Amino acid sequence: MSEVDGLTPTKTGDERITYRGPIKKLLVSPEIGALIGAVVVWAFFWGNGDKFGTAGSTANFLDVAAPLGIMAVAVSLLMIGGEFDLSAGVMTGASGVTIALMAKYFTDGGISLWVCIPAAFLLAGCVGWWNGFLVNRTGLPSFIVTLGSFFVIKGANLVFSKRINSLVNVSDVDKAHGYKFFKAVLGGENKFGDMKYRDIIFIVGGILFAVLMILGFIEQSLVRKQSISASDLIVSLIGVAGATFGVMTLHRTDSVNGNTVAGVVGLIGTVLAIVFYARARFEKREKIAGGFPPAAKTLLLLGILGTAVASLTGQLFDRNEERVMLQWMPTNLRLAVAILGGAFPLAMTIRSFMRGDIERRGRVISLLILRLPIICLVSLTGVVSLFQLTTVQAVRAVIITVAGTGAATCFYQARRAAGKASTKWFVNIGLLMTAAFLVVAFALRADSSAPRFRGGIFTSLLLGATLVLATTLVEASHRARTKADVSADQLGRRMILLGLIIGGIALAVRLVLSDGVFRMSVFWWMFFTMVGAFVLTKTKYGNWIFAVGGNKDAARATGVPADKVKTALFVATSLLGAFVGAMILMRLNSVQAQQGDGQEFEYIIAAVVGGNLMTGGYGSVVGASLGALIMAISKNGIPAAQWNQDGRFIFLGAVLLVSVLVNNYVRKKANEQR
Amino acid sequence: MSNKTPLLELENVSKYFGNVKALENVSTTVIAGQVTCVLGDNGAGKSTFIKIISGLHKPSAGKYMFEGHEVAFDSPRDARSLGIATVYQDLAMAPLMSVWRNFFLGSEPLRRFGPINLLDSKFARATAKEEMAKLGIDVRDIDQPVGTLSGGERQSVAIARAVYFGARVLILDEPTSALGVRQSDLVLGYVRAAAARDLGVILITHNPQHALPVGDRFLILNRGQSVGQFEKADLSFERLIELMSGRVHAA
Ligand SMILES: Nc1ncnc2c1ncn2[C@@H]1O[C@H](COP(=O)(O)OP(=O)(O)O)[C@@H](O)[C@H]1O
Ligand SMILES: [Mg+2]
Repeated sequence: MSEVDGLTPTKTGDERITYRGPIKKLLVSPEIGALIGAVVVWAFFWGNGDKFGTAGSTANFLDVAAPLGIMAVAVSLLMIGGEFDLSAGVMTGASGVTIALMAKYFTDGGISLWVCIPAAFLLAGCVGWWNGFLVNRTGLPSFIVTLGSFFVIKGANLVFSKRINSLVNVSDVDKAHGYKFFKAVLGGENKFGDMKYRDIIFIVGGILFAVLMILGFIEQSLVRKQSISASDLIVSLIGVAGATFGVMTLHRTDSVNGNTVAGVVGLIGTVLAIVFYARARFEKREKIAGGFPPAAKTLLLLGILGTAVASLTGQLFDRNEERVMLQWMPTNLRLAVAILGGAFPLAMTIRSFMRGDIERRGRVISLLILRLPIICLVSLTGVVSLFQLTTVQAVRAVIITVAGTGAATCFYQARRAAGKASTKWFVNIGLLMTAAFLVVAFALRADSSAPRFRGGIFTSLLLGATLVLATTLVEASHRARTKADVSADQLGRRMILLGLIIGGIALAVRLVLSDGVFRMSVFWWMFFTMVGAFVLTKTKYGNWIFAVGGNKDAARATGVPADKVKTALFVATSLLGAFVGAMILMRLNSVQAQQGDGQEFEYIIAAVVGGNLMTGGYGSVVGASLGALIMAISKNGIPAAQWNQDGRFIFLGAVLLVSVLVNNYVRKKANEQR
Repeated sequence: MSNKTPLLELENVSKYFGNVKALENVSTTVIAGQVTCVLGDNGAGKSTFIKIISGLHKPSAGKYMFEGHEVAFDSPRDARSLGIATVYQDLAMAPLMSVWRNFFLGSEPLRRFGPINLLDSKFARATAKEEMAKLGIDVRDIDQPVGTLSGGERQSVAIARAVYFGARVLILDEPTSALGVRQSDLVLGYVRAAAARDLGVILITHNPQHALPVGDRFLILNRGQSVGQFEKADLSFERLIELMSGRVHAA
């Protein structure tokens, strides 16, 4: 409209919306919890021992993750559409059994896989259609209907494999016609040899990722100046050079002295780069001259306590991998410690949670986070020493992780509380937080003879300290934007998107090509995740899926073919089940009749961990895929950390519970902000 | 006004659910540019009646005519294709979906991208905002979930949606029942605005105070039976209350 006067209109959003900064926007997306969860769980096991995170073990957990992830994609779409499929797990077995039996026994000497595999898909399609038909026709909960299918298929798998093959295991499919092709497409492994530039790609990609993320976030958070100041920009560029030098050296050197020098240069360089970039481009703010905010006091003390616990634990426990610990305590005493230490705070927390309304629950969750270090410290030490479930090193890693993240959360909240009252105290607490990161970094490094602790964890903690320092300084001296600014927001979003793409490629190069092996299963997992996410968010069918899950009557009333959508989702789930079955068969060259039995719950857990709402109408395919990744990491990490294997169920249960609570809390919080 | 040909005519329509007589021998007329109010207490059969009109239920007996031709709908889709749009009591919206996704639910705008049809979300966002502005509705954030809107705002999304999709008959099931005074006035304003755009509006309510100022014609139901259909000129507020209470029968 105003283009007529030759003026460029400054586009601003509706002034009644309080502008949601980039972090809040991120929190609204359903997959954010799973993304953070995957990183935390991975880092946790990585710090737990030297066996996890090597190229070989990465290939292992990706191998577990791929079939789980493919199924999680289907199950999450179905869940968003408001239904469950308990026959999804045994469907993978049914498809394997069908293909294997046909390939071996159909007519004399078997039949080509070009016939067997489509036949298995046809069968799966019929099962999916039947599930959908029954659910639509009877209106019964899909839990019941598909439970029926589950038992029928489970029985059929056993009956047919025993009758025809006289064993519950059908093997030697490799003699069938067409095996070579399907092996290559579905179960293939492509060897690349060792990739020479793998590490360089990873580091450069990682740095670009970090830089673009930081720039993108700043762009969306601050107010632009009229003109850019050149001198500040030059200082910023010098900082970039220092940062690059520091990070490169940190990655390459393993000697303590080299680490210190490189660390200091990298830290100062990064802080300079960020702070002066902000000075060059964004407007300053007035200082708030207030006193120390009393609200921050407890948080601050807890932060210091957590830092002390994390650092001291690093020093106190022996880092050997023995299971024997705290032998000097009598058994009864250890039992008492375990029960009291674990049960009491947990019971308190659960009680207040049951009673509370939403607002109180928010407080309870932060309380839970505060209490977690104590719960974990006392109860885990007790339980673990009593039953000797795991190694001393693993216990230490648990305590350090929990106390450390707890402390960081407390410091962060304290800084936030101070930010409203006084600029001086905002900076002071920020500096204290930086110091805490450095203390833990050096405490862990000094103690460890493991290269991983000296290198990776030390580097990460240094980078953490850097980021805290930089954000503190930037936030303290620049005005936060409270209005939408279309061009700046768009630029920021594009930077973040580009950063994510580059980071994703770097990570993929590092993870997927690890060991010089690329497995087709991983390719298919990525492929189906992308297709699923695309259908859900970018096509009208996605709109229909959300609608039939969110309000079926509404969907029908507006003309969405609700029954057809549900049936299609059931069919897709069964078909992907058949696909995964064929994939596993081609990989292993044999199939157990019980394969997939019980896995349906793991698919559902993966979807829920990934932020999908069990009642339907809300969720994310990418989240479900990440949920599958979390579960695969746990499955692989627990034995690598030499934990008691049966303990993985406890871990899975805890992951499920925590992620549902957090997802729920974040979603409510995010929507309240509107 | 009455010389206009009616958009809709229903003659002696009945609906039975097993042995429950939800509706018996009800007739009405709907004319473009006018508001026909269906009044009755809870359980009178109002929702059942409009579900028949919108094609969700098939009538057990009776005649259903659209622009003078007898019709029988297999699904709401058939009714919609003739321009009969319904805003249900439960609002026909998915609360966790954004305003624009709900606005275009079931009639998504598409954009070709190579061989595939993509959801045209840019167009959908802009159009939803613009169309609502035309009825005088200003939604803050087109991306917010419908569940976070106020009751009146939710109604307005539904009304704007129906008008945009070329509705000729707009059916509103108790749009004011859950609203406060101000929000009700607002929604009744949208109802008149829709009628002013030459739609035939059917407004269902059990509140005569809401019906009288906006209605041109009044169909009164009581326990599944029709008490009769009245023109505005023939009714006073007191008479309407008497008729609705079921104590007095029409002459
Ligand atoms: N699907 C159904 N099955 C059986 N009875 C129904 C059904 N739908 C409505 N009824 C009955 O029909 C009567 C009228 O209901 P309804 O049309 O919802 O009334 P109103 O909208 O006027 O409050 C009620 O007694 C109700 O119990
Ligand atoms: Mg009703």
